[in-house]
Amino acid sequence: MKDKNFEIVSIAEDTGGVKDAGKWIEAAKPEYTVLIDTQHLVTRLYDMVNVPTAVWIDEKGRIVRPNEVAYVDNRYKGMHGIEASEYLDALRDWAANGEKSVFALSEKQLKERLAPQNPDWALASAEFALAEHLYRTGQSEASIRHYKEAQRLNPESWNYKRQAWALSDAERDYGTSFMKEVQKLNGKPYYSPRRLPEVKKPK
Amino acid sequence: MLKTQILLYASMICLPFVLGAFAAETERRTVIYDNRTTEVAPPPANLSTDDLWVTLADLKRATGFVIKPQGVCRDELCFPVPKARRSAFLFKQRTTTWFNLSEFARLLRQPTAREKELWYFGPRPDEQNAFIGSFIAPDFKLPDMNGKQHSLSDFRGKKVLLVTWASW
Repeated sequence: MKDKNFEIVSIAEDTGGVKDAGKWIEAAKPEYTVLIDTQHLVTRLYDMVNVPTAVWIDEKGRIVRPNEVAYVDNRYKGMHGIEASEYLDALRDWAANGEKSVFALSEKQLKERLAPQNPDWALASAEFALAEHLYRTGQSEASIRHYKEAQRLNPESWNYKRQAWALSDAERDYGTSFMKEVQKLNGKPYYSPRRLPEVKKPK
Repeated sequence: MLKTQILLYASMICLPFVLGAFAAETERRTVIYDNRTTEVAPPPANLSTDDLWVTLADLKRATGFVIKPQGVCRDELCFPVPKARRSAFLFKQRTTTWFNLSEFARLLRQPTAREKELWYFGPRPDEQNAFIGSFIAPDFKLPDMNGKQHSLSDFRGKKVLLVTWASW
């Protein structure tokens, strides 16, 4: 899709940096840009709560579609049930047709989807950033308190939970695990559902 | 006898230094502001330790803000200090003026977090929410695996799929 002036910028939200994300990048041998975000800056800037989350950005740097779940293959479909092909078709359509694509959101639609950050989420973001700094400077025990506070203030964020759990013994330090928390959802979707317009396929 | 005296004098001379070093170590304060980490001087004993008071020199070093007649300013940006509550923000002791960065954060509704003497200040809501009104994708600069820096704005002129993932 490069010939259509289209680029993928993939960001690893990993406090562990190359140490944790590196082997995945090497295995994927990507032809696109992969950046490493040890401080979860992109999560904060775009107010994201999970991975993978994608944003479509046009040639002028304007948002075309804000945060939404972005599986581009069906590797984990068994867990979340999200079909990748619809999303890939939508992406191809936008890459070819730009603002004329039915998948490019209007200003009105964008306004409906974008909301100012909830003050509790802003506080959660500060607690998470502090925890990240504490962890990075070898103060793991203190970091756990602030990761927990971030999780409490923004319970929607899987990033805050899963990153913190991955940095320690989740059962010991947080009394839980990813699988336990997923089970607790009890059928509630793990990702907010994607809202793509229905497109009639040519027969 | 002489030895004892020498030891006694030596300890009298050294003790203040030892205590001074100890105090500096326990009171060392670190500020993270706009993602930048700065060490700042501890405040005099008569200022509350519940808030972060910094000297005007440290304010400038840590945040880039300076006090001007029109308010607390950085480049084109100026936030007036509420006249009636000036003493909540500024405190003069001898030749040093102290500024309450925590009170300033409350004024600007900045989210803050603290662990002992490590103080974190997050973005103001108007910074955080700027893209909600403009739809301009927030810019950032991050390294790739080889340490080379890339900005989102390097991709202007192209359509970009920005996508996050993680190893966890």
